[in-house]
Amino acid sequence: MNTETTTGEYMLLFRGPHWDRGLTPDQLQQAMDKVMAWFEGLNEGGKIKSAQPLGTQGRIISGTNGRFVLDGPFAESKEAVGGYLVLRAANLNEAVEIARSMPTLSYGVSVEVRPILAECPIFQRHPDLVQRARERAIQAEQLWVAAAA
Amino acid sequence: MSTTSTAKSDYLLLFRGNVWDRGLSPAQLQKVVSDWMAWFERLKAEGKCVGGNPLEDEGKVISGKQRTVADGPFAESKEAIGGYFYLTVADEMEAIEIAKQCPGLEYGSVVEVRPVADECSIKQRAQEYSNHELAGATA
Repeated sequence: MNTETTTGEYMLLFRGPHWDRGLTPDQLQQAMDKVMAWFEGLNEGGKIKSAQPLGTQGRIISGTNGRFVLDGPFAESKEAVGGYLVLRAANLNEAVEIARSMPTLSYGVSVEVRPILAECPIFQRHPDLVQRARERAIQAEQLWVAAAA
Repeated sequence: MSTTSTAKSDYLLLFRGNVWDRGLSPAQLQKVVSDWMAWFERLKAEGKCVGGNPLEDEGKVISGKQRTVADGPFAESKEAIGGYFYLTVADEMEAIEIAKQCPGLEYGSVVEVRPVADECSIKQRAQEYSNHELAGATA
């Protein structure tokens, strides 16, 4: 794993958005209190760069020119991403320990932890192309700005 | 006279599949790489994308009451999330139109479009329950 290009930021993806299914109102209230306290604690410690819940309606786009637009993923799925958090952490171990403290893990949510990169791995595999691509991107932007003026 | 609504909605584009570049010719790769960078820069210049990042192929997955830590997701996967863009656009239709521009699509990349929720739906459900309780108490 190339850690030189990591940004000190880690993406936490919370999967399994329907974890509240089967909880009584009291259990849900208690769970939400713990979740809010967890977020507030992290936020006060300056660990959260951004975090958002995601709505359940989603679309999956695939195929050339995105010609296939399907509904999905389904919120009932344990794989569906229910929300994300961009965490500031010293290293992957710290990010993992923070992720492990997420209260919803007790209710079936799983948390994926991914280092955020400054540069795409695909670009990393082809560094010779990146320089030329950058030049083309700058040219394209200049054309765009000129056209919009 | 045109009145433009300033109301915007936030959407996340999740780029799924991180091996679609394998098997591309150098010429195809160069085109995809430069098209993708130009796409990102253009969306930012238009104020439609406020940010985006690629994600390291490998990471960890934590699950269960024991908070077991496993390696994952599997690096070579059509499902793995390789990166994201955060969009602020007029509506879902616009988010979908932007997603369709992704240069990786013709090589097998998949784009998931998700609305950013104002509030977690579970938090809303918890709130509804306590509202009902309050209503019951005063009835």
